[in-house]
Amino acid sequence: MINKLKNLKLTPGLILRILVGLGVLVFLGWRIYQTAFGEGTYGPDTWMRFLIAGLVIGGMYALIAIGYTLVYGILFMINFAHGEVMMLGTFAGYFALEAFAAIPAPAAAGPDLNFLNAYPVIALILTFLAGAGTSALVGLLLERIAYRPLRGAPRLIPLISAIGASIFLQNAAQLLFGPQRRQYMNPDILWRGMGWMIPVGGKEVMLTYTGAFSFVLSILLMVALFILVKRTKLGKSMRAVAENKQAAALMGIDVDSVISKTFIISGILAGAAGVMWGIHNGLFNHYVGFIPGIKAFTAAVLGGIGNIPGAMMGGMLLGLLESMGPALLGLDFQLKDVIAFTILILVLIFRPSGLLGEALTEEKV
Amino acid sequence: MKFKRFLVLLFVFILALSACAPQPVADPPSDEADSLAQETEAATEEAATEEAADDEAGLPAACEEDEFGCAVIPEGETIKVGMGAPMLGDYSMFGIDISQAVALALQEDDGFEGWSYELVAEDTGGTPEGGAAVANKFVTDPTMVAIAGHIFSGSTDAAIPIYDKAGFPMMSPSATNPDLTQKGSAVFNRLAFTDAAQGEAAANLLFNDFGFTEIAVMHDGGTYGQGLADVVAATFEDLGGEVVAYEAVTPGEADYVAPLSAVDAAEPEAVYFGGYAAEAIVMMNQWSQAGLDDVLFFGCDGTFGVEFTDKTGANGEGAVAASLVPPDSEEKTAFDALYAENFPTEAGELSAFTWSSFDTGNVLIAAIESVAFVENGTLYVPRGALVDAVRNSDFFGLTGSVKCDEIGECNASGPAWYQVVDGAWTPLALASD
Repeated sequence: MINKLKNLKLTPGLILRILVGLGVLVFLGWRIYQTAFGEGTYGPDTWMRFLIAGLVIGGMYALIAIGYTLVYGILFMINFAHGEVMMLGTFAGYFALEAFAAIPAPAAAGPDLNFLNAYPVIALILTFLAGAGTSALVGLLLERIAYRPLRGAPRLIPLISAIGASIFLQNAAQLLFGPQRRQYMNPDILWRGMGWMIPVGGKEVMLTYTGAFSFVLSILLMVALFILVKRTKLGKSMRAVAENKQAAALMGIDVDSVISKTFIISGILAGAAGVMWGIHNGLFNHYVGFIPGIKAFTAAVLGGIGNIPGAMMGGMLLGLLESMGPALLGLDFQLKDVIAFTILILVLIFRPSGLLGEALTEEKV
Repeated sequence: MKFKRFLVLLFVFILALSACAPQPVADPPSDEADSLAQETEAATEEAATEEAADDEAGLPAACEEDEFGCAVIPEGETIKVGMGAPMLGDYSMFGIDISQAVALALQEDDGFEGWSYELVAEDTGGTPEGGAAVANKFVTDPTMVAIAGHIFSGSTDAAIPIYDKAGFPMMSPSATNPDLTQKGSAVFNRLAFTDAAQGEAAANLLFNDFGFTEIAVMHDGGTYGQGLADVVAATFEDLGGEVVAYEAVTPGEADYVAPLSAVDAAEPEAVYFGGYAAEAIVMMNQWSQAGLDDVLFFGCDGTFGVEFTDKTGANGEGAVAASLVPPDSEEKTAFDALYAENFPTEAGELSAFTWSSFDTGNVLIAAIESVAFVENGTLYVPRGALVDAVRNSDFFGLTGSVKCDEIGECNASGPAWYQVVDGAWTPLALASD
């Protein structure tokens, strides 16, 4: 560390960076001090609400961000259609829940019940399977149709293909399902706007069932993914393909199949996030994937694209920044995206590879 | 050879220039062209009027004296009322609904001395260019007496100077841009209440009728929403109240818990929201998550509608909003039945302007009948007198009292207020009543 510092040359670029960094630090420190101790606008209950909102949305961002990072790690391309993959998962979950609500339950379960409320756990599991399955299928087809034929092409070409696929999927969904906003049919036990009341600072803060459910589920999915990547054979071959495709192929790994499976896994996570989005927020239309897609991409870059824990951390961080940033800085909530993206730019100035990302080798870049 | 190539290049260059150039600087020249076209057309119209008058052996004295002359309607013709509206394309539901309601008013009237009324609705596409084109066409018609419209603010704005010169009175049921009445036009009037009028009425209601002294104001950052929110905040503070929080949300999002929690921290008695139903629904559904349970949600005419009650369910209970839809009355029920009988849709299904459009038609009829006269079997409508008559309207219709002020704001009763009770919008009943 000391040696590194000694070798440091004070180039104009570095001086500029240090100045920007110091300026930002002073500004942040001053604003945070002011809001936290000076004005005291927000009580602990309000901070608790910010925290809950940030973690819930952060969990969903993280799940989608993992999809960007997995694909980038293996193909070095940004799958810009990933938000649309999530959107189709949201639609699949919606139709599954509508279908369960339409099926009458057997008389044994109770009078006047539909399948959804008679067996909510089974219905929810099936809904998530429908959402994740649809998204996985879309991801797989996307790779086959839009990316595989362009495998050897220059890197800009699949990027353009991805943007095209994104526009295609969004418009196809609009034509198929219509542009109107739909509302998720949750089972009664997981109805939106219901939750536990937690006493914080003399007030009661609501922790919604849907929020807690989404957060716990996203953590579970992330743990499962982590185990898959670190402990299983598929995970090992994914890491090998990410490291070096040719060497992996020489070792007997079917590269195409690993890439397909990567798309399936990222599709599953995006689909699950899509269903959570619907269950927690309720309203959606064909446009639902666009903003989360962009935010999750930001989260992936923030954490270091290609790095899975980085994507998880980036997602959570972005969610918290969005909900707490404006309050911390005493700014208008409409500026939350400005704050989040300013942080992204600052992180990239000082760590171009993201928070947890490692410097990429020449070959990968 | 080289010269030829140069010529071709030059030609292409000129083509490209002529294709691109007019866009940014289009307004002044096209305005000139419009007014030029309008002048020539006005001239031909005068000629036509004179010709028609010559046949009838001279114009009546009232027409000679009138600043703009007379509309001359021979026997067998109809008294025409014009409308520039988006009849095709994305916004056609407004044009279709408004023209149907006005046509109904004209058709239900039993006419004047044997002449019946007719609505001529032309497509403007909702655009300024379309508005000017339609206006230029209308002012050449000697049997056209008044304009019910135009429908969109942009198209109305472009049409006002044309009607101003020709002396055609206008009564718009739906053009809400505040600037339209600020330009000193003698012919333009409207039944729609402006955003400013709505904001002031909302602040008054909150302070005087609800008795709140501390409110929060939120908006979606749009021209409409923020404009309303600013008027409400300013008026409320003028009245002596305090705006304890002022927050904007990003439109189109699905999670507003954070900004709502920030508003909740200021402990307002009510939250005013300027914006549209899409955001209001999301906010309403997260109302209790943000701890705002016992705080009143006060919306605007953008948040009013069936979608709000459908998608908020029990969460939307108690929310207040403004609307052009008049409160139930015998006349309204009769009109609704008449509308449903004549057209494939229900009143109010295509737009919220159905009732004010019907009133527009009736206001114009009343004004026309106050100045029109028959001489030698021909109906004359002195245009200048009609302009004044429309401005001096004193009428009571479905939407309440129609009485124009000196700049042409004719909605004297303001918006109607509604509250969600048992999942449906019902006219607001204040505890003090």
